[in-house]
Amino acid sequence: MATVKLTNVVKIYDNNVTAVHDFNLDIADKEFVVFVGPSGCGKSTTLRMIAGLEEISGGTVEIDGEVVNDLQPKDRHIAMVFQNYALYPHMTVYDNMAFPLRIKKMPEDEIYERVTHAAEILGITDYLMRKPRALSGGQRQRVAIGRAMVRDSKVFLMDEPLSNLDAKLRNQMRAEIILLRQRLDTTFIYVTHDQTEAMTLGDRIVIMKDGYIMQVGSPEEVFDRPGNLFVAEFIGAPKMNTIKAKLVRGDGEYHVAACGAVLKVGGEKGQMLRDRNVPTQDIILGVRPEHMVLAAEDDANAIDCTLEVNEMMGSEYHLHVNTADGNKLIVRIPTITLSPAQRESLVPGARLNVTCEGKVMHFFDTESEVNILYPCQAPIK
Amino acid sequence: MSKKNDYDPSEIQKRMGMKAKNRISNTVIYVVLVIMSIVWLIPFFCIVFQSFRVESTWMAGYVFPQKWGFDNYINLAKTDFWKWYTNTFIIAVVVAALQTVIVLCMSYTLSRFRFKIRKGLMKFMLVLGLFPGMLTMIILYRVLKDLGMTQANAVPGLILVYIASSGMGYYVSKGFFDTVPKTLDEAARIDGATRAQVLWKIILPMAKPIVIYTILTAFMGPWGDFVFARYISMNTSAGMNVAVGLQSWLSLDQINNRYTMFCAGGVVVAIPVTILFLCLQKYYVEGVTGGAVKG
Amino acid sequence: MANYSDLEYLRLSKGQRFAYKLGHFFTSIPSAIGRLFANIGRGIGKGVKGIGKSLGDIGSTFRNGDGITKGSFVIMGLGNLARGQILRGILFLLFEIVFIFYMVTTGAYWLSMLPSLGHQGPAQEYNPIYDTYVTTYHDNSFKILLYGVLTIFFIIAFIYTWRVNLRQAKINQEMREKGLRIKSGKDDLRSLVDESFYKTLLALPLTGIIIFTVLPIVFMILVAFTNYDGTHDGYFNSLFSWVGLENFNTMLSWEGGGNVYSATFGEVLTWTLIWAFFATFSNYFLGMFVAMMINKKGIKFKKGWRTILVLTIAIPQFISLLYVSKMFAKNGIVNGFLMDMGWIQTALPFFEKAAWARITVILINIWIGIPYLMLIVTGILMNIPADLYESAKIDGASGWKQFTKITLPYMLFITGPYLVTQFTGNMNNFNVIFLLTGGGPTNPNASGASGSVGYTDLLVTWLFKITTGAESKYYLASVVGILIFVVVALITLIVYNLLPSVKNEEDFQ
Repeated sequence: MATVKLTNVVKIYDNNVTAVHDFNLDIADKEFVVFVGPSGCGKSTTLRMIAGLEEISGGTVEIDGEVVNDLQPKDRHIAMVFQNYALYPHMTVYDNMAFPLRIKKMPEDEIYERVTHAAEILGITDYLMRKPRALSGGQRQRVAIGRAMVRDSKVFLMDEPLSNLDAKLRNQMRAEIILLRQRLDTTFIYVTHDQTEAMTLGDRIVIMKDGYIMQVGSPEEVFDRPGNLFVAEFIGAPKMNTIKAKLVRGDGEYHVAACGAVLKVGGEKGQMLRDRNVPTQDIILGVRPEHMVLAAEDDANAIDCTLEVNEMMGSEYHLHVNTADGNKLIVRIPTITLSPAQRESLVPGARLNVTCEGKVMHFFDTESEVNILYPCQAPIK
Repeated sequence: MSKKNDYDPSEIQKRMGMKAKNRISNTVIYVVLVIMSIVWLIPFFCIVFQSFRVESTWMAGYVFPQKWGFDNYINLAKTDFWKWYTNTFIIAVVVAALQTVIVLCMSYTLSRFRFKIRKGLMKFMLVLGLFPGMLTMIILYRVLKDLGMTQANAVPGLILVYIASSGMGYYVSKGFFDTVPKTLDEAARIDGATRAQVLWKIILPMAKPIVIYTILTAFMGPWGDFVFARYISMNTSAGMNVAVGLQSWLSLDQINNRYTMFCAGGVVVAIPVTILFLCLQKYYVEGVTGGAVKG
Repeated sequence: MANYSDLEYLRLSKGQRFAYKLGHFFTSIPSAIGRLFANIGRGIGKGVKGIGKSLGDIGSTFRNGDGITKGSFVIMGLGNLARGQILRGILFLLFEIVFIFYMVTTGAYWLSMLPSLGHQGPAQEYNPIYDTYVTTYHDNSFKILLYGVLTIFFIIAFIYTWRVNLRQAKINQEMREKGLRIKSGKDDLRSLVDESFYKTLLALPLTGIIIFTVLPIVFMILVAFTNYDGTHDGYFNSLFSWVGLENFNTMLSWEGGGNVYSATFGEVLTWTLIWAFFATFSNYFLGMFVAMMINKKGIKFKKGWRTILVLTIAIPQFISLLYVSKMFAKNGIVNGFLMDMGWIQTALPFFEKAAWARITVILINIWIGIPYLMLIVTGILMNIPADLYESAKIDGASGWKQFTKITLPYMLFITGPYLVTQFTGNMNNFNVIFLLTGGGPTNPNASGASGSVGYTDLLVTWLFKITTGAESKYYLASVVGILIFVVVALITLIVYNLLPSVKNEEDFQ
């Protein structure tokens, strides 16, 4: 059983800078949790506190029910993969992977079994006698993973392992990590600044900013129901469109006045607003680029705008438009849905109408930036 | 590159002009370098030549011997020279071993560990180093005298003095260790190693250049120390090192008999040390450029 | 001093900008010194606050402590032994026993004699057995000073250990109350190779430094306040005693006429500073120049040239210096060669005349020093990103411009601290001066100041002469040593705070 529990964990550095505030999280056995956020948000610090590489200023960290605050890393039964691989340069790949086992005084033939088994899984059997400097970045990362794999650790920690690889390799390794997870069947804690990695790899995502947890949830949750503006803008690429708007409560119907247009809020969201009796108020409206659509010319519920830049991405267009009242939006349109004539008309300066349905709208309080319908931690100003 | 540039006569002229300018400046540099090499090497050629002079032993104003011979070298054995040489050699070997250990302990600790008094300790040693070293000679001499480690018995005394405070010379080594990523230590600690094992199994094996540098500089130090060796041997020939001994041969009352022997002695001292240095030159350069400048 | 905004500054002409920067440099010196004293004051303040906090903590330990903790005020280690930490408890107790034993038997004696440094010196006493007067020896000032200082160190160490003992007793009591596990001896030993490994590593080096550097320096600083010299050696000749600031007075006071010391000090200090300046910067710029020459594209045998120059580092310096000093002697090779070629009639006074000697020494130091600088500069040059030069070339910068605008600033930034240590190191560069000239030629005005002081003497060589001279005025040597320290420390501190390296670290990263 390898559960990890962080209770009120705090990290304060010597110069009184608080890197992590009151971190609370329960990680279930065999769960894959991703800490994600911009640099400086405290994700690596928290990971290192779990590992024992940083002192815990306050709160407790429990691994498998045991409080590990005062335990050295080697006594915590964890394995870790670093961003810069941290391979021992003077040892061969085999010796690198055998090192933790030799420290434990395991018999050599058992070491051989484990190392060759892991090497086979990772596809690095041909490199066992090479030194790290003779390997490429991707191969080195695999060796680092292999070194962590051969031990019986309860928790597998990964600190931005793919950040040093180029884009193509990163995609490839991402898939391999998913496969690895299935094979190893243990608890994973993964740190990254890349929201794509977080979304594809994690069972649950912990989004952090400035040392605070913004939201904890599954990829679907944080994507469909972002708890605050920060999470909404952080997850998903291109960034969610956010514009100042006004939520108006009409007779039984809710409307959003934005960018000079009035958009109807129908469907489930409308129902939720009614159920909670949300008053009329200024809000920040959030709609993802892929949820916006081109509307007909005469659609009253559409936003009038001018096309500034058209990025041709292959299977879709990313249209950067300016609204009449000065807001900038991005709209993603699949190429297939457009007729050749329509495609030709998408030139800078073209007048367009865009709109969206109620169910893809997100409403955020202007002051606290919290999602009105699915509230969670307020971002720190 | 457009075709115009390749065939345009004015462009060709310009490029030829640049090439010519380059060639002239390079030639000038070669000339300067040759002159410099001569100037730098002249003293050593002179000392070698003068060491073979047989017809006189005083300091004459010419270089090439009229009569060549090994007399000066052979006569070295009739003096205390080989005693001095042995003294210095023993000191150098012992110091090389012990000082390396001490310096590496100190620099690794200051590089890797963060403990409360760390910054204060480094500042303190910085301030301590601003005192002139020989200020401590007086009292060290008297204490060593009471312990019987002076004059004829200067060798253990000198060894003690050299290695005891060698911890203060951690700068270059620490600079080197600072360039080794800490994640290496961390990975090893997570893999189950104690910090002692990390130092021994991971860091030291990959620190070969700086270890060699430290051994080399620790070995070369005692060969050139004058002040401490002079003070602690206190005019007793049996306890002197080569620097003090050879210098005494150049004093007014000895120089007429000893000048050429000084040259011979100098050559004998210089050759092994120089060869050692040249063999390990690249480690020295790595150490100096890597660590020395980090300050 | 006007403070211009960025835009206003940009409108100034080159000359105006230089004047502006110069003015700011000078006006910032007093504030830099002010900041220095403020930092020292703050440091002292922090120290005092720390002691205050410690005392408060001791008080609360007593008030809140149970019987065992209170007991550890008197019996060190009780707080450990009673709670199962046998190893630590025994060590504390042992230390206390040794300390008390020492203080009772010898420590108290040395301390009591410290203010007087001995009452009775050697005396002639009548010995009835041999029917003659025999010299008998009594108090030993030297030993009193030495062991007295040692005792004080010991007392400080004891107070610190006692404090640690109290703290541990308090922590152990709290942990017992909370029901937490107390670290055992085995835990302690295990952590000595892990978390506390730094203690294991530092133990030996720090002990060596304390005994062989800190202790002697403290001792010598105290000697500066005594009259310890050859004729007052404290035991065999006569005792020595405290004289307060009298020695500093002798060295530094400006009484007209009779005071030869301060004049000598002033002259030697001036030459030391001039020497250090020229030695450091001549080597620096010439070394840089040579390194760049060898490094230039198109020059072959780079390794060869460097190896030739590096030979002067390989060969033990004393040989080079001693031999070269003889080369330039009146009847030396250089003069012999020049006279043979007919270029001069009489021998050149390389080391005989003051000005000649000073210049010769600087030049020979260049010969010794350029190879070091060349190595260092070469290493740094290779690390300057090449694209800096490429974009400068595209912008049309000439070679000289590239040097002054890219190479030089980068060099100065990286080697700033190194230059400072080189400067202070040259101020204390004993070997070069002593082995080349012995400090000579002799300065007739300074002959009274203990040892024949010469025109090329540095403060350190003067110190050496005082120490090994006929009169062995150790107290004077101490005073000179302390003054050297003051000068060097001041320079280091001021320059360090003014260095761009400290201020503009981010610019270059």
